[in-house]
Amino acid sequence: MSRSPSSWLITGVVAMALGLAAGDLARADDSDDNHAHHHAVPTQSAAQRTTAEYTIPDVDLVREDGKVVHARAEFDDGRPVLLGFIFTTCAAICPITSATFRQFQDKLGPNEPVHIASISIDPEQDTPSRLRQYARKFGAGANWQHYTGAVAASVAMQRAFEAYRGDKMDHAAVAFLRAAPGKPWVRIDGFAAADQLIAEYRAITAPSALASR
Amino acid sequence: MRSAALFTALLCAAGSGVGAAAERPAPDGENLYRHGQLPTGALLAGSRDFGANVTGETAACVNCHRRSGLGNVEGNIVIPPIIAKYLYRTRQANVLDLTLPHVPGFTPNGWAYTDETLAQVIRTGVRPNGQPLNALMPRYALDDESMAALIGYLKNLTTEPVPGVTDTTLHFATIVTPDADPVEKKAMLEILQRFFAMQRDVIAAESRPMRASREIMYRVTRRWQLHVWELTGAPETWQRQLEDHLATEPVFAVISGIGRREWSPVHRFCEHNSIPCLLPNVDLPVVADNDFYPVYYSRGVLLEADLIATRLFDSTAVQPRRLVQVYRSNDIGVAAAEALATRAKAANIAVEQRAVPASPESRGASSSGAALKRAIAGVDRNDALVLWLRESDLAALRGDVPTRSVYISGLMGGLESAPLPVRWRAATLMTYPYDLPELRRVRMNFPLGWFKVQAIPVTAERVQTNTYLACVILSETLGHMLDSFVRDFLLERMEMMLSRRLVNGYFPRLGLAPGQRFASKGGYVVRLPATAGDKLLAQGAWSTP
Repeated sequence: MSRSPSSWLITGVVAMALGLAAGDLARADDSDDNHAHHHAVPTQSAAQRTTAEYTIPDVDLVREDGKVVHARAEFDDGRPVLLGFIFTTCAAICPITSATFRQFQDKLGPNEPVHIASISIDPEQDTPSRLRQYARKFGAGANWQHYTGAVAASVAMQRAFEAYRGDKMDHAAVAFLRAAPGKPWVRIDGFAAADQLIAEYRAITAPSALASR
Repeated sequence: MRSAALFTALLCAAGSGVGAAAERPAPDGENLYRHGQLPTGALLAGSRDFGANVTGETAACVNCHRRSGLGNVEGNIVIPPIIAKYLYRTRQANVLDLTLPHVPGFTPNGWAYTDETLAQVIRTGVRPNGQPLNALMPRYALDDESMAALIGYLKNLTTEPVPGVTDTTLHFATIVTPDADPVEKKAMLEILQRFFAMQRDVIAAESRPMRASREIMYRVTRRWQLHVWELTGAPETWQRQLEDHLATEPVFAVISGIGRREWSPVHRFCEHNSIPCLLPNVDLPVVADNDFYPVYYSRGVLLEADLIATRLFDSTAVQPRRLVQVYRSNDIGVAAAEALATRAKAANIAVEQRAVPASPESRGASSSGAALKRAIAGVDRNDALVLWLRESDLAALRGDVPTRSVYISGLMGGLESAPLPVRWRAATLMTYPYDLPELRRVRMNFPLGWFKVQAIPVTAERVQTNTYLACVILSETLGHMLDSFVRDFLLERMEMMLSRRLVNGYFPRLGLAPGQRFASKGGYVVRLPATAGDKLLAQGAWSTP
């Protein structure tokens, strides 16, 4: 039988879900007629949208310019927020997330009052100067800041957004949008295209949406 | 005696990434795969359906498929191997090919690629049977020359026989330089020998190899064999000596090693010969961003210099008028003092470097005392004084503390056992790039318990613990590799696995990633208690400068 394009992904996810050792995984792969793989796992391109109430934790972060900021004050400054988690030595997931954030930034233009935030999940490695290098690499403009801080602060942020998976190497692609303080967060799991993010952004920041609730 | 200039020169050479590999122009395929550069010199460009297009370094295959080409797992993304051995493999119901490394991303294809179909799938993102590749894999509109270079590269990637691996034995080496402390050397070797003996006992006790369905045997039980490479003579000859050792005793990897002042020849040996080197006992490592093979626990005294710089120059408190540094002209403090001086100059602080001539042990404490007295003469309370000195020199300090801003290196000075005279203790700050003793106590039960069971006396706790931890990390990493004994893959697996460890001896946590070669990133600044043996007085939280 034929395999779906994401069959290797599914194999990995199933193996992880079952807590299998690598040996078991290899064994499962010995045969490609194994039906046990076929659970409903979304492909990467099908980003999933949900909304949620998250409380930004009472922690300090360190911005790429070296300034210590209070997370709540930083993200509750009134502007709409696009928020994500990255680390600068991440090989596969973060470069895609950051490239998408850049497209989002560029499509909105520098005059849009939006706050784009990328928070490190490897904060001890990602010093402010490494974050500045990373920001330059992805063309971050004045509206896009990168944050590091103590390990506990980074973990608190990840937990608050239900994005903590225990280790930086176990992370998954997810982005968060919020129109204003007090409004719910739109959570997009998977790799959203910049156009999807823009559409979400337009929808939640439309005057009618802002007036509700 | 070796001069300060030599240390500095070595450090600078390493810092700028100089090495034979960097100077030799890489072949076209390697340039494309690793650096995202086309044979014409233009940048590689890849596109994805959902945007997130990539160019140059970020478009390079190595980012996801890794240096070995054996793929990777990141979160729920499993990246398949792309060496030709997999891609060109004809369909088999069973995987009976024991030469085929088993990696998480591998699933047998229903077909074998040819040069033509492989080129097509790289360009279009669509397999010969019409199925699209995963959306994360960019499409690359390569010209024929670039495509040929890439495919040629994939055909050779990870095909060479792996030295140090036989059907029955895995060979490892450890490296001892002639300046190593004899007590530390003995302590390290004992840990390694006992760990390797334990590994052999476990294997001997095992009734039969692990067996998977369909008659595949994984983890063909190989015993570990340790080779001790003892170096002699001048550091300039060490790399050559190591290469001679390697030629007569091929090893898969280097596990631990011990020295005191010089380490850069060993570092260059590892990188130059593409040998993974897990190096837990080096206080002055080589910092070279592009080097792949040597892995250290931390940047050692260079990290300590940064911890001091952060406190002296980055704080809003009153900055010192002048930085005075004292170090032995033949010791690792030379490089640390150089690093700290660079930070001071950037902060517009005057620097005075006071090298004390190397002193043979025989001349004794009184002569050390006199030399050190001269070195700190004229230091006043507006200065910051940083002492990059070993225990014997700290013990020889005399008189009163000339300033309230005195720092010593914990790594060089003996950590909590630093033998500072009473009058210096209360006024001196010490860098401490480990977890505090009371915070690591429970964690330390693991190595200390093992030493006890093995009846190993604790003679050099730091070296013994760090060496034991390196053995455990190696063992775990190999355990996850099944029979895929590929040197690059060992490091790639270590990058993936290390930060998941919770119990790490002296360290609060360890972590690596592509491009990260120093597993612990921070430290404390502490004051010594008035009474030796009491709790260290941490000056602030663990920080990562």
